Amino acid sequence: MKKYLVAAGLTATVLLAACGNDGANGAEESTGNEGGDASADSIEVWAWDPNFNIAALEIAKEEYAEINPDVEVMINEFAQDDIIQKLNTGLSAGTGSGLPNIALIEDYRAQSFLQAYPDAFFPLTDFFNEEDFASYKIAPTSLEDEHYAMPFDTGVTGLYIRTDYLEEAGYDPADLQDLDWNEYIEIGRDIKEATGKQLLTVDPNDLGQIRMMIQTAGSWYLEEDGATPNLENNEDLKMAFEIYKTLVDEELGKPISDWSQYLAAFNSGEVASVPTGNWITPSVRAEESQSGNWTVLPFPKLPGADDAVNASNLGGSSWYVLNVDGKETAAEFLSETFGSSEALYEELITEVGALGTYLPAASSDAYQLEDEFFGGQQIISDFAEWSEQIPQVNFGLHTYSIEDVLAVEMQNYLNGKDIDDVLADAQKEAEARLN
Amino acid sequence: MSYKTKNALTGWMFIAVAAILITVFYFYPMFQSLLLSFQSGAGTNLEFVGFANYVRLFSDPTFLTALTNTVIYLLVQVPVMIFFALIISVMLNNDKLKFRGWFRTAIFLPCVTSLVAYSVIFKYLFASDGLVNMALLNTGILQAPIQWLTDPFWAKVLIIIAITWRWTGYNMIFYLSALQNIDKSIYEAAKIDGANAFQSFIKITIPMLKPIILFTTIISTIGTLQLFDEVMNITGGGPGNATLTISQYIYNLSFEYTPNFGYAATVSYAIVVLIVFFSILQFKLVGDKND
Amino acid sequence: MTKLKMGAMYTALTIISLVSIFPFIWMIVSATNRSVDVTRGRIFPGTHIFENLQNLLNQVNLVPALMNSAIIAVGTTVLALFIGSLAGYGFEVYRSKKKDIVFTILLLSMMIPFAALMVPLFRMFASISSVIPFIGIDTLPAVMLPTVATAFLIFFFRQSTKMFPREMIEAGRMDGLSEFGIFLRIYAPTMKTTYAAAAIITFMASWNNYLWPLVVLQSPGNQTIPLLISNLGSSYSPDYGVIMLAIVIATIPTAVIFFFMQKHFVAGMMGSIK
Repeated sequence: MKKYLVAAGLTATVLLAACGNDGANGAEESTGNEGGDASADSIEVWAWDPNFNIAALEIAKEEYAEINPDVEVMINEFAQDDIIQKLNTGLSAGTGSGLPNIALIEDYRAQSFLQAYPDAFFPLTDFFNEEDFASYKIAPTSLEDEHYAMPFDTGVTGLYIRTDYLEEAGYDPADLQDLDWNEYIEIGRDIKEATGKQLLTVDPNDLGQIRMMIQTAGSWYLEEDGATPNLENNEDLKMAFEIYKTLVDEELGKPISDWSQYLAAFNSGEVASVPTGNWITPSVRAEESQSGNWTVLPFPKLPGADDAVNASNLGGSSWYVLNVDGKETAAEFLSETFGSSEALYEELITEVGALGTYLPAASSDAYQLEDEFFGGQQIISDFAEWSEQIPQVNFGLHTYSIEDVLAVEMQNYLNGKDIDDVLADAQKEAEARLN
Repeated sequence: MSYKTKNALTGWMFIAVAAILITVFYFYPMFQSLLLSFQSGAGTNLEFVGFANYVRLFSDPTFLTALTNTVIYLLVQVPVMIFFALIISVMLNNDKLKFRGWFRTAIFLPCVTSLVAYSVIFKYLFASDGLVNMALLNTGILQAPIQWLTDPFWAKVLIIIAITWRWTGYNMIFYLSALQNIDKSIYEAAKIDGANAFQSFIKITIPMLKPIILFTTIISTIGTLQLFDEVMNITGGGPGNATLTISQYIYNLSFEYTPNFGYAATVSYAIVVLIVFFSILQFKLVGDKND
Repeated sequence: MTKLKMGAMYTALTIISLVSIFPFIWMIVSATNRSVDVTRGRIFPGTHIFENLQNLLNQVNLVPALMNSAIIAVGTTVLALFIGSLAGYGFEVYRSKKKDIVFTILLLSMMIPFAALMVPLFRMFASISSVIPFIGIDTLPAVMLPTVATAFLIFFFRQSTKMFPREMIEAGRMDGLSEFGIFLRIYAPTMKTTYAAAAIITFMASWNNYLWPLVVLQSPGNQTIPLLISNLGSSYSPDYGVIMLAIVIATIPTAVIFFFMQKHFVAGMMGSIK
């Protein structure tokens, strides 16, 4: 009977609390926004990837401990998907509890968070100098003349390619500087013939390759307003789809379906190249036996587009301050570290191998580092140079929603549907989703 | 107080704690979610839209794809799994069988295993150059490898294999526990009457287990209609939504895309309606007489 | 049963068991390999298990997470079994039209995907936080509370109670036991296979629960095992050897509990009253 009573007691407590719920709600919500106590002696940061973002935070934390020893920085590691879920749940509950002070958010998702939760983020416009950062990072992270994020890593892309395979196929890597995708595919055919290896991986659920291709031509899934789908009659997108189909039809692309298979494909030498963001470097390097056999070329541009450049972007994230108690402290922390410290970015390169988007750091010696794994190439310096050419596009709100639509239509296209119908249907479906 | 009213009251006392807790932690949020299903917008910018979300549901090709996939899983997978689980548990209930504990544990193991690992391994097994294809090619059953993960049809088959693999042992538990409650003497009597093993399975085991068969069928139906984990981890809903389920669509609407919690709630209620429909059907088919 | 039939049965069960257990064996093997070998799908044991263990212990707080998961899973199982069996028994033994209606309504609670309840539930706990902090956001009780009363268990116990002989209740009343006494002294011991099955299922569900703990827990000290495993995969270059090892460790408790619980599936109800 004792247990019974305990259970009943517990229930009663919960019920009481739940009844108090509606009344307490209003009061709760306002505490977040009034910010009566804007400064705090400890702040909490959420980020993913211990080898990269978390490592960067540790450096910043150490540095800040010297500037302001009174503030304790708590770093909390979660997987990226987990952060997205936790933020969405916490923010939509609107109570301000269960949220961190600072969160790392991918640039593709930035507008979605900023617009879906007005007043949930604290503007950082006064906490850093806009000119200090690459311009392609500023637009996606700003809303209505306010900058809401401290720009962090770059998603600048490169073409990681096996020099030994290239040589076997009769190419000298030094000659391959400003390729377009047609030339790249041509090389792929030769490599396949000479070595039997496929050129790259293709994942039917991840159209990152399409995104990278169209961004070389300054094109995106949306119009410049960041809201109107731009799929039908988008010549760049059409070209990217056709290239993708060639890769699949000629079996130059090895089909994969998840991250571990992706890593395995290049770590085991099954594919000759990896066209992707610079953050893949540690994963490529993971297979030590391939040291000296890799180089990074400029990203192939989209053929047929006049203004296409040999630079693109995939991913990249920035730091956001949530509009909860301690926001001033959090903003100060970011301002003093990621917002203005050249030393931090230098250390980031030497210790972590991560490239920021803070321009004044580009003159530092760390950028000139020669990387033995990549045959002595100064990859950081190269990436930094390419990142200056990345065409700026407005990611807008719906990157992943539209990408799902495109992934479905891509399957139809691969199965023989006409490309113009494919894009027209995608346009219709995207419009239906977004209103 | 008469005996009868006292008895009725005691009955309510037994139920009260559970009923109150479920009301607080399920029905209250469900009610909130129902209210939400009449609103639409990004994140917290919600507007009352009446039945617009429900109208959108019927012209939403992604929802219709998810619905079709989910119902296919349900119709193919649940009967197969229930049948397997029944057969296996009857075999494992045999007194003369040695190593029963080990067999049971082995067959139960898949549903304990963390999804993260099992999906990674499943993907190796069923990769185009994975062990399964190798085995099928070497034995001459196949001429060309099957694209389990990237072909729309085979990806569905793979999901069905995966859920059957994972949940058969789970259903086995319920049958094993229920089989203990059948009086052994009934079987002995049947044997004397000349019934063989198959006949006593059909004539005794199945009817005796009816309440539990009904239970597992409904639980599996609910589980399949809310299927999320396997699809999310093995195929991610792809290729091109070929394996997408309703639950994964809800997840996408809430977290993957710009969140629209209103429409996500509407899709959730579509699942409720489906489950209610199938459950009533099953209650009717199996019957739920109290004797 | 003939020898031939027994032989066929052993063969069938061995094949089924092997198919069931094969991925798990592979997991154990992978836990002994380097990450690069794991991603390549190597199926032979390696020599890196201690290195992986070292890395695992360096990267995460394994023991506290195991403790948290154990507290939550054991607490949930005990409470859920008690509350669920009480209600299942109540619905079946004191069956009435009104209770059947309540039962049907309670079943409805199983039918909505949890993702749809998460936001309102989170808001509720955020409000509780300010009134009773020890069951609010970022506490272990907050993880347990929504799962201690489930329509699932009520349904299971009710269906199982249908097999419980009514004469035993009458006998209990004759002996002068209270109604609750009958439940506790006669029903509960008699139905121990049902309890064993329910305990395994509940423990497993609680041990592996992911979505709600993810949302409601926050501080690293409150982390549970599934959250820890998810974090191990947060990197762009995850160490799959370490992840596999963590998963093997996470799987063992439920497997062991199952192995001991399933022994209760032998002594049936009829045996226990003799």
